[in-house]
Amino acid sequence: MAKLPTPQMLMASRPAFPDKDWFETKPEFVPGSYCYPAKMDTMELLHMPHPHEWDPSAEDWHLPENWEQILCDAFADRLEKHRSLKLFMDICVRCGACADKCQFFLGTNDPKNMPVLRAELLRSLYRRDHTMLGKLLGKRVGARGWDMGVVKELFYYAYQCTECRRCSLYCPYGIDTAEITMIVRELLHEVGLGLHWIMDPVKNCSFTGNHLGIQPHSFVEIVEMLADDCETVTGIRPKTPFNKKGAEILFITPSGDVFAEPGIYTFMGYLLLFHELDLDYTLSTYASEGGNFGSFVSFNMAKKLNAKMYAEAERLNAKWILGGECGHMWRVINQYMDTYNGPAPANMEVPVSPITGTVFDYAASTKMVHIAEFTADLIRHNKLNLNPKRNANLVTTWHDSCNPARGMGLLDEPRYVLRHVCENFVEMPENTIREQTFCCGAGSGLNTEEIMELRMRSGMPRGNALRYVQQKYGVNHMACVCAIDRATLPPLADYWAPGCTISGLHELVGNALVMKGEEKRTMNLRQEDLPEEALEPDDAPEQTGEGQ
Amino acid sequence: MNALDILRSCKKDVVSGWVEAVFSTYPLETTGFLRTKTNPFTNPVAHMTKEAAGILFDAMIGEEVEPDEVKSSLERFIKLRAVQKFTPGQSMAVLYLMKPVLRDKALPEMRARGLLDEYLAAESRLDTLALLAFDMYMQARETVAESRIKEIRNQHAQLKRWAQQLENGPDIPAEKKSFE
Repeated sequence: MAKLPTPQMLMASRPAFPDKDWFETKPEFVPGSYCYPAKMDTMELLHMPHPHEWDPSAEDWHLPENWEQILCDAFADRLEKHRSLKLFMDICVRCGACADKCQFFLGTNDPKNMPVLRAELLRSLYRRDHTMLGKLLGKRVGARGWDMGVVKELFYYAYQCTECRRCSLYCPYGIDTAEITMIVRELLHEVGLGLHWIMDPVKNCSFTGNHLGIQPHSFVEIVEMLADDCETVTGIRPKTPFNKKGAEILFITPSGDVFAEPGIYTFMGYLLLFHELDLDYTLSTYASEGGNFGSFVSFNMAKKLNAKMYAEAERLNAKWILGGECGHMWRVINQYMDTYNGPAPANMEVPVSPITGTVFDYAASTKMVHIAEFTADLIRHNKLNLNPKRNANLVTTWHDSCNPARGMGLLDEPRYVLRHVCENFVEMPENTIREQTFCCGAGSGLNTEEIMELRMRSGMPRGNALRYVQQKYGVNHMACVCAIDRATLPPLADYWAPGCTISGLHELVGNALVMKGEEKRTMNLRQEDLPEEALEPDDAPEQTGEGQ
Repeated sequence: MNALDILRSCKKDVVSGWVEAVFSTYPLETTGFLRTKTNPFTNPVAHMTKEAAGILFDAMIGEEVEPDEVKSSLERFIKLRAVQKFTPGQSMAVLYLMKPVLRDKALPEMRARGLLDEYLAAESRLDTLALLAFDMYMQARETVAESRIKEIRNQHAQLKRWAQQLENGPDIPAEKKSFE
């Protein structure tokens, strides 16, 4: 009779020492740990190289016959083009400072999710073809050649990295591991390997300007609906200027704010704020997307999709661009936009706030200002009438979205705004915020539902810190400035810290903003009852701002 | 020495033995990190495991424990196992790995002192805890499944509303406004 296995046997504990080295250990493509591949017709429409049908879990990925040559040539080409890549390949001393900094490593315990080893996947290939030692000594110095197993490994781990750059923060050499991931993804595209969740928005952006492919007239109608909702809550219907030539400011935000919950409430906050300021601004049906999924594909695709911002600013003769709450959009703007699409059109000027006169000279080159800075400046100059009691039901914490935090140093401005619109604010532990912030675990095009399980483990360090402040300080809300965060953090909070809600910063600003001529508010922007503190009749709205 | 005292005296050994057994379900290259770093936020897996180990042991041997505390610690650990790359059996079986450690450390002395019933009662409590954990495991998996559905719905929330407003638009039940 066959014996039943013991619990120990079920666990199938690994041998005390690995029987194979890391070169030979290959990833398993089980459902929940990989994303669906891009559709062939999408890739064809975008003129991507070698469009084809394939399945990540299948043995054969149907690559073109000369795939190895294509990849070797593409890699050599990128090394030639980006000196930074060559530097990153050469200078790593494998000190391991980055090893335990990645949330994918912390959640999966997979050694190849240590940033150093993830980069080593590419570095080993570099050694064989581009270093003398590697050419001579091969495997003994950690060099290896291409084979299908290597391609699969690169695909698996390049899409278990959110390009959040937490690892780079700790690298004594400043190696930007996110840029290594970007290059790996770009190389894989040379043989037709891409993700549906990334390529579909890229296709839609290419044809209609936004991720969902909403046509201009429908886009306007949906924004009008949000303006109607604003009227329901405040009694004031904010203006929704579109494609207005000669407007001083062009406003661009991720389209997730227009289509997706809970981003829409943040968008309503923008509308109310701009209306109250009587800002001379315009939205655009062409530049109807701040997000840039092209930056998860390749240098050229990112450049192409980003170009619409300046093109539209030029067409509408706008002086400068105000950017909404987005994550990777800001990394693209702050770090790459000048290289991609610069210099800015001649009609554009160094941004100056028309309300306070503040010159945003740090944006002298890109001509783009982040809305958190714009609003913080308004509050600093006491230009807004805010009643934080309307958010009194919230004990909020702040999630530093990776790209604005690490990619542009936006750390204090959103906190400054948050403290003025919400009375109860608690920070998460210091090694999980600001520059050291943990990623939501699903950025860089990984916010797709088929890998929800993977997202729950990669987002675990963030969820863990949120759970801690929830239990210790009664936190019930987390605010952020990233559209992907607003999509990915609600399920993460539902899993790790049930009861915590998520919102953008300007949803809370919209709630707290006391507008001229508004009706007495009884609801917040989600049309939920306001807390009792905000309903007291003798409660005069508080003046906020410096000096109060 | 009564049964509880004997069990208490082997807490350190059993807890560390179990923690090691859990760590060895992860690749060897990562166990050094799990063992040596103690910060609850930068090494959450180790912290969750160690926290669960202490609570699990106390509940198993019959100490006076706060049910909420047991639930909270156990849930944190089970939620982690529920989304890592394990089969359901592998996720849950780790709890039973405490038995061989306990048998090794406590059983000989308790048998010698005629306290076998008390020993078996402790193991039975572990079985109960495993059942509680199984409920948590299922709840965690259902939350993941629900999240997938909710996410698809939220992504297009506004589009659906807009479509409903169109003439001859699809008749879809109105979405709840609140975002739970």
